[in-house]
Amino acid sequence: MQVASSTVAERLRLNSFGHAYLGVGAVLIAVLFYLALAAQITQNSYDITRLQDQQRLLIAEQDQLRYQEVTLHAPAQVQQQAAQSGMQRVVPSGYVTGQPVAIDLTAPVGATANDSTPLWARALAAVVNTVGVTRDVLAASR
Amino acid sequence: MSVGVRRRAPRLERIGSTRLRIFAMLLVALVLAGMVWSRLAYWQVARHGQLAIQAQAQYRELVNLPAIRGAIFDRNLTQLVVNTTVYSAFVSPDQVPAAWRDRVATALVSIVGADHAKVMNILGSTSKFAYIARRFPKDKADQLRALKLPGVGLEEDTQRSYLPGIASGTTLAANLLGFVNYNGDGQYGLEAYYQKTLAGTPGYISSYRDLANREIVLGTHTHQAPVNGSDIVLSLDANVQYAAEQALADGVKKDNAESGSVLIMDPTTGGIVAWADYPSYNANDFAHTDTAMFKDNVSSYVYEPGSVMKVVTLGGAINSGAITPDTVINDPGYLSVGGFRISDWDHRNHGNINYTYVLQHSLNVGAMKAMQAEGHDAFYSYLQAFGLTKASGIDVAGETTVPPPSAAQMADAQYATSSFGQGIDVNMVQMLAAINVVANGGKYAPPHVVERVGSRINPLLLQPQRQVITPDAVAKMTGMMEAVVQHGSGYTTRVKGFELDQAGKTGTSQIPVNGQYTLDVWSSFVGFLPASHPRFTMLVVIRKPHAAGSDRDWTLNDGYITAGPVWQKIAQAVAVDWHITPGAH
Repeated sequence: MQVASSTVAERLRLNSFGHAYLGVGAVLIAVLFYLALAAQITQNSYDITRLQDQQRLLIAEQDQLRYQEVTLHAPAQVQQQAAQSGMQRVVPSGYVTGQPVAIDLTAPVGATANDSTPLWARALAAVVNTVGVTRDVLAASR
Repeated sequence: MSVGVRRRAPRLERIGSTRLRIFAMLLVALVLAGMVWSRLAYWQVARHGQLAIQAQAQYRELVNLPAIRGAIFDRNLTQLVVNTTVYSAFVSPDQVPAAWRDRVATALVSIVGADHAKVMNILGSTSKFAYIARRFPKDKADQLRALKLPGVGLEEDTQRSYLPGIASGTTLAANLLGFVNYNGDGQYGLEAYYQKTLAGTPGYISSYRDLANREIVLGTHTHQAPVNGSDIVLSLDANVQYAAEQALADGVKKDNAESGSVLIMDPTTGGIVAWADYPSYNANDFAHTDTAMFKDNVSSYVYEPGSVMKVVTLGGAINSGAITPDTVINDPGYLSVGGFRISDWDHRNHGNINYTYVLQHSLNVGAMKAMQAEGHDAFYSYLQAFGLTKASGIDVAGETTVPPPSAAQMADAQYATSSFGQGIDVNMVQMLAAINVVANGGKYAPPHVVERVGSRINPLLLQPQRQVITPDAVAKMTGMMEAVVQHGSGYTTRVKGFELDQAGKTGTSQIPVNGQYTLDVWSSFVGFLPASHPRFTMLVVIRKPHAAGSDRDWTLNDGYITAGPVWQKIAQAVAVDWHITPGAH
C-alpha cells in the first residue's frame, strides 16, 4: 500500500528539501491569504467608521435645515418679513353675517323619507346597477 | 568465623529512610503544588467574576444609542420644537506641540469665543482632557473641524431648539413647553409632564475592540435598538399664541404691571389654544436664565378671581331656580354678613335692580344675595360642579391649587366673599374651565393641551362631558354676559363687528398681604366669542397693574381698563386668523 503523498513525491521526484519548500510555500500562501483578508476587514472597518461619521454630519445638517425651515414659518419670522415688505394686518371693516347650517345631523343616513323618485324608477335603477355597473366595476378592478 | 566480615546496615532501616525521604519530597511537592493550585483556584474561582468584568472592560465596548426625543406640534402641525445637534470642543494638551499652542488658542478664541489666556493655561498644563466651549452650533464646529488643529476634538450632543418668540430674548410658549436640560430630562411644562412619552427608551450596542481600540467587525454584537419618543400634537395654535404673547407684552408694559397671563380655550373640547405669560424667557438659553422666570403663572399661581366668579354664582343660582335675570332685588350698596359689612365696589345705593344689572355693573351685594337665595349647600355644590374645589388635572407640570375648606367649615362671611371671587383661591386653568361651562352649552370640558400622542387621541376627548347647568340657564347667562359687553363694564373689549354677539365679564380683586387687602390688584377679563356659537373662550389676568393715574384713583387698575383691551386685541386677531363671523342678529 502506497501513501498518496509519497506517490506524488515520487512522480515529482522531490527530495526532502523539496518537501520542506513545498510546506513552507503552502504556509506562506496561507499567511498571505490571512493577511489579505485581515487587511480587507480593517479597510472595511475604516470605511464603516468614515461612513458613520459622514452620516452623523448629514443628520446634524438635516436637523439644522429643519430648524431653519420651521423658523422660517414661525409667526415671529412671518411678521418680521411682512413688516419688512410693508404689509400690515388690517382690522376688517365689516363681517359677513353667519348663517345657520341647514343640515340635520341627527337625520338617519340614507334616502330621505320624502324621496319623490317613483318606485318603478328606483327598482329599475337597482336592476341596472346590479346588472350593468357592478359588472363594469368588477371588471375594472381586475 | 565471622571476623573480618563487614557488617552492613540493616536493610529494613535503609529502606525506611529512603521511603521517608521520598515521602518527604512528595509532601513538599504536594504542598508546593497545593499552594499553586490553591492560588489558581483563588484567581479562577473566587475572583472569576471580578476578573471577567475587568477583562470585558478592556476588550468589550458598550455604546449607548440615544433615543430621538419626540417632536411637539401645534394644531396645524407647525413644529414647535426641533432636535438639533450641538458640539462641545475639548483639547488634549499632551497632544498639542508647544509650537502649536498659540495657533490653537487663537483659533479657539476666534471661532468659539474662548478666553485666550485661559486656553493657553490649559494647553500648558499636564491635564489630559479639558473642555474649551460647550454646546455651540454646527457652523462653528465645521469651521473648527476644517482647521484640523492637533489635540482639539469635538463632541456631539443633542439640544432642543424652540421657535423664536415676540422678542429676541424669548421663545414661543416657553412657559407652557418648558425645556430639556443637558441630561435630557424635561423641566417644567409639557417637556416635564410628558418626559417619559417624549424621551423614549435608549438602546445600546455591545461589541469588541482590539488592542488598537478598533472595533472588531466580525466580533459578536449585541444590539438593542432604541425606541424613539412619541411626537405629540397640541391643541395650541402657534399664530394665536404669538398674537396673545404680543398683545399681553404690550398690555403689561403699558399698565406698568408686574406680570400678566393669557389663556385661550376651545369651548367644545377644552383644548388650550394659547397659553401666554409675560415676562417670559428664552428656552434655547435656559442655562443663563434666572430660575424664577421658569415658573408658569397660568397653572402654578393661585389668585382671587374677583368678579369673574359672579358668572359661576349667578349661573348656579339661575340653574337652581333661585333667581332669574329679571329678578329684582334691593341693593343699598352694602350687606352685613357674619358680623362684617361688605360693600359694592362703588359704595353706592343702587336701589331696586335686577340680576342683569348686577352682572353689568359687577355689584357684590347682588352676588351675595344670589348665593343666599340658592343656599350655602347649593352654592358649594356648584363650586364643585364648575371644578373650582379641586385641581383641573391639566396635562402640564406644576399645577398648584388651594382648595377651599369643606362646606361645613366655611364661615358665612367666606360664603359671601366667595360669591364675588374674594377669599377663594383658584388658578387660571380652573377659572377658565369654569366659565367655559357657559360657552359649552352647560357642560364641563376638561382642560388639556395635548390632543394626540403619536397616533393615539387623548382619552379625555373621548369621555362624555358632565352637564353642570341646563341649556336654558346657559342661554340666560349668555344674555347677561352679552349685556356686560354691550351696556356694562365690558365695553372696552368690544370686537369690531361682534358688538352684539360677544359675552364677557370683568374681574378685579385686591391682593391680600399678611391677611390685609392692599391697593394692588389682580385684574382680569373673561369672555367668549361669538356669543351665539362660541369658537373660543379667553381669560386675561394682569397682576399688579399701575395704570397712568392709578396712584390717585386705584380703580383705574380695574379689569376693564387693564385686562379688557388686551382681551379685545387678541380676540380681534383670532377672529381674523380663524375667519370667525358674528352670528345673525
